[in-house]
Amino acid sequence: MNNTSTLADYGSQTSFSSAGSGAAATLGLTTAMSVAGGVLFLLVMGAVWLARRRNRPGHVWWIWAGGVVLPVLALAALVAASTFTLAAIGRTGDTAPVIEVTGHHYWWDVVHDPQGRALRDANEIVLPADTKVTLRLRSGDVIHSFWVPSIAGKLDMIPGRVNEMTVTATRPGRYRGQCAEFCGLSHPLMAFEVLVLPPAEYAAYLAGLQDEARDADTAQLEQGREVFLREGCPACHVIRGIAEGGRIGPDLSRVGARGSLGAGMWRMNVGNLAGWIADVQDMKPVAEMPSFNHLSGPDLRAVAHYLASLK
Amino acid sequence: MTDTSADDRPRQGPILDELPLYERAWATPKGWRSLSSVSHRVVGQRFIVTGLGFFLIAGFLALLVRTQLIVPQNTFLDAETYNQVFTMHGTLMMFLFAIPILEGFGVYLLPLMLGARDLIFPRLGAFGYWCYLFGGLIVLASFLFDAAPAGGWFMYTPLSSKEYTPGLSADFWLIGITFAEIASVTAAVELIAAILCTRAPGMSLTKMPIFGWYMLVTAFMIAVGFPPLIVGSILLEVERLLGLPFFDPAMGGDPLLWQHLFWLFGHPEVYIIFLPASGMVATMLPTFVGKPLFGYGYAVAAVVAMGFISFGLWAHHMFTTGLPMITLSLFSAASTMVTIPTGVQIFCLILTLAQGRPRLTVPMHFILGFLFIFVIGGLTGVMLASVPFNWQAHDSYFVVAHLHYVLIGGMVFPLIGAFYYWTPHFTGRMMSERLGRWAFWLMFIGFHVTFFLMHITGLRGMPRRIATYPEGLGWDRLNMLSSIGSYILAAGVAVFVWDFIAHRWRGPLAPRDPWQAGTLEWMYPPIAPGHNFHAIPRVHSREPLWDQPELLGGDAHRVHGVLHDAPHGRRETVGCHPLSGEPLQIVRLPHPTWVPLVTAACVAVGFAALLANFYLVAAAGLVAALVGFAVWAWEPSETGETLETSEGTLTVNLPSRLGHTHIAIIGTLLILVALFASLLLGVMYLWNVQPEFARLAGDGDLDWAGAALACGAGVVLTAWLARRWPNALLDLILALFAAAAGGALYLAVLPMDPLATALAGAVWMTAGFIGVQLFVLLYWSVFLALRKLTGQVAPGQTVPEINRLPYAVVTAGMLVAAAVVLAAPQLEAFT
Repeated sequence: MNNTSTLADYGSQTSFSSAGSGAAATLGLTTAMSVAGGVLFLLVMGAVWLARRRNRPGHVWWIWAGGVVLPVLALAALVAASTFTLAAIGRTGDTAPVIEVTGHHYWWDVVHDPQGRALRDANEIVLPADTKVTLRLRSGDVIHSFWVPSIAGKLDMIPGRVNEMTVTATRPGRYRGQCAEFCGLSHPLMAFEVLVLPPAEYAAYLAGLQDEARDADTAQLEQGREVFLREGCPACHVIRGIAEGGRIGPDLSRVGARGSLGAGMWRMNVGNLAGWIADVQDMKPVAEMPSFNHLSGPDLRAVAHYLASLK
Repeated sequence: MTDTSADDRPRQGPILDELPLYERAWATPKGWRSLSSVSHRVVGQRFIVTGLGFFLIAGFLALLVRTQLIVPQNTFLDAETYNQVFTMHGTLMMFLFAIPILEGFGVYLLPLMLGARDLIFPRLGAFGYWCYLFGGLIVLASFLFDAAPAGGWFMYTPLSSKEYTPGLSADFWLIGITFAEIASVTAAVELIAAILCTRAPGMSLTKMPIFGWYMLVTAFMIAVGFPPLIVGSILLEVERLLGLPFFDPAMGGDPLLWQHLFWLFGHPEVYIIFLPASGMVATMLPTFVGKPLFGYGYAVAAVVAMGFISFGLWAHHMFTTGLPMITLSLFSAASTMVTIPTGVQIFCLILTLAQGRPRLTVPMHFILGFLFIFVIGGLTGVMLASVPFNWQAHDSYFVVAHLHYVLIGGMVFPLIGAFYYWTPHFTGRMMSERLGRWAFWLMFIGFHVTFFLMHITGLRGMPRRIATYPEGLGWDRLNMLSSIGSYILAAGVAVFVWDFIAHRWRGPLAPRDPWQAGTLEWMYPPIAPGHNFHAIPRVHSREPLWDQPELLGGDAHRVHGVLHDAPHGRRETVGCHPLSGEPLQIVRLPHPTWVPLVTAACVAVGFAALLANFYLVAAAGLVAALVGFAVWAWEPSETGETLETSEGTLTVNLPSRLGHTHIAIIGTLLILVALFASLLLGVMYLWNVQPEFARLAGDGDLDWAGAALACGAGVVLTAWLARRWPNALLDLILALFAAAAGGALYLAVLPMDPLATALAGAVWMTAGFIGVQLFVLLYWSVFLALRKLTGQVAPGQTVPEINRLPYAVVTAGMLVAAAVVLAAPQLEAFT
């Protein structure tokens, strides 16, 4: 796998730093359970230690105390804590704005407001801060799993099924998510980023998704657009206003604005874009897209610049 | 390693006059002929050594995984190789190491502990071993064909279906593992029958060594727990080969059906691995404390409870698949419940420890290590039962940490302790106390460095099964340390393996009962003779060697007991009443034979040919195997002979429902019912999940289904009549009824197109399964008729007829269930 130019600063992917109501509630539960588990472990090991030093039979009620009463008390506390946490997360049953995410080998198709304006993006999920959003998860091929540890726990994307979860992102910023269900050869390269924006900026973002893609305004960019059209890219990719037929690959209308390339794997810049186009099969083996390694140097530069300009 | 020959007897006291006859009867064949041996001692050691081999291979694969992950974006392995390596690591560890090696210990130890001269179906044990070896070799051979499975040990559909995994890799997995599972289920039947039917006189179930209880529950769990996976594997293989769309949502299937079947097996599997190891701990610990197990009854009750509860937990592996919230809550609560029997067992051990000052031997180190590690694994398991936490931790490195705490702590540590404990029994020499301590501390420290950190790695967001990870996500240092820990752990295992090999010439000779244990297997000085017991003593206690001084006092050959002589020069042992342990019959045991090896080889050829798409060869292999089974069973019946023994006159192979073959048939039927239930569950699940496809599946022909039922009634009636008045004519009529029932069943499902919808496909599979059942009855009945017609059967030799009746009843019951399922949609239309 390509060893160069990864993102310098990924968004946070740890469940220890929460930026969503679900992750925050779960982090509290994790902490409580870890402490309680540690105490129980010390109690049992203490019993082992005492037993090693003792030299006469104990009472049978120790079996009841340690094997029945202690677990039942601990479990009752655990079930109660879990239930309260579940209620706090409120994963289902809300009528919130819907964002539909579909997992594909090995990228993510994103549609905001699927019943209405059906605004499409890919590999970067923009969420409004402090707003309930329902993520509607589907799969286009095998089972994937949607996981952004800093925002919420995971939920699988299963062919033939629709899974939904309601999340509230609480802190604007950039977070990283990753496919958590083994889905094939390039499973490790199937990540994405979540961009949490203040609600006003989110509205602007959505409005931007309705506009046609930015026009090519220099000679090089025009050449890049020509290469894009000539090489058959529109068979799979959409650039609004330029090519609207293909749905096989990610929507590229604002590809240059994304923080990362190749589904959350590399920093978005002209160099990585050119490398990606020329050698995608090396950077992400068995991706659907072929390597366009027959392009001339100027053509490759032009198309990379053109894509980078789409913001 | 497998040399347990009875001639190796320099340290075994004086030889009695009648021994030569014994020696001839129980001698293990020499040289290459030893492959025909069926003795449990030989077969058990083969299981153990082969399992150890797979453990080392799988462990090596684990080191490759850790080496790949030692730094971010490593290029040591490419993604394809990495996926093969982690898939094979899990597959080998779970299917070809953990279960077989524990069954190997059970096969080796149980007759010795229970007071039997051999396991009750020695040829079945040998057959199971060869199936395991050949199945394992098929799985390993995939590396040679560059087709190693790469879909994970869990083989989730649709990733493992033909569309996303073309080529043979998934077929290698499905066929090889299914084949190896034959070994597990045959061993389960054998262990059930052996534990219930061949205990020493006086050994009631309440006086049985605790290991017997653990293995009995394990065997029942295998009998019920493996069938869902076998059914799932067959469905997936049929989908891949023939295109029946069980898991394709576009045709009425559902990928989650695979997950339900897989985890219906996969969760009990964890306890199937844990229980025997835990049973070893409960056997070894009292020895080192010098006092009996504390709370024997509590431990037994806890083990039985655990066996039941473990079947109600499977969905906690599926908390992130979008199951309804109420289902999640139920399974979450059920999952936490298993803590109670686990806690009871742990506290039985702790209280055993409290009774005396334990000797800190090497096995004792591993027992304490087991307690330390397993308790952590249990606690993280409870955390994972919490739904919201599970959503974060599932499929992250937290789960990797948890499962290794449970499996290495709960199984590998006790197992290595068991090796140190019982190896003197295998080889007559002690392993090294010094090297054993090195092995323990290296393993213990290496283990925690490797796996404790993974809890944190997982909560920091690292998913499992990723071949590389980018730099700078907070995982770099943790992974580096985990990899270093894994090398320390491997060094510990290497020290153990070296000791296991080198003790053969460096180890001191083992004295009689080297650990001052109380269980019967140590009655002889190592190595015990091939027949285990010159005479089988009457047992009055759970720790006979502690409470019955006559057993250890003098020459073991002079101990009084049943079957002191071998007047016929035949292999025989005492069959007991399943509950009281009082002698019931004499069980004649087979001598060395090539039939198990040849039959297993035929099955192996069949499976390998299936893999290579040579269907004619596959069919030929199957037919040859069927002939092999007939040869196997075509031996003169000895039912009715009597022997005078110290326990009175006993009959050989008593025709009774308490007899060992009838108990074994009941065990087999348990497996068959579990298989059938798994299929039926599949049918009903698909019907429920994709109801619109139920209409598309069409209706079966109810008239023919009625005819099949009528023929099924005929089968039961003739089987019942034949039990009362055995004769060849009734056997042939029964065969005819079975054939007719099969034909009618085929016509009943014919209107449904198995390729069009998953539901119709599942109905066909169910019908096909009943067809196989009916074929078995047909084959069996023709076989019995032939035996009667050729004069092989004397009056009163009715064991086969007694055994066939429940088989016929259960098969007819399956017909009824299938008919109800066929009729239900049409009845629904009426209402």
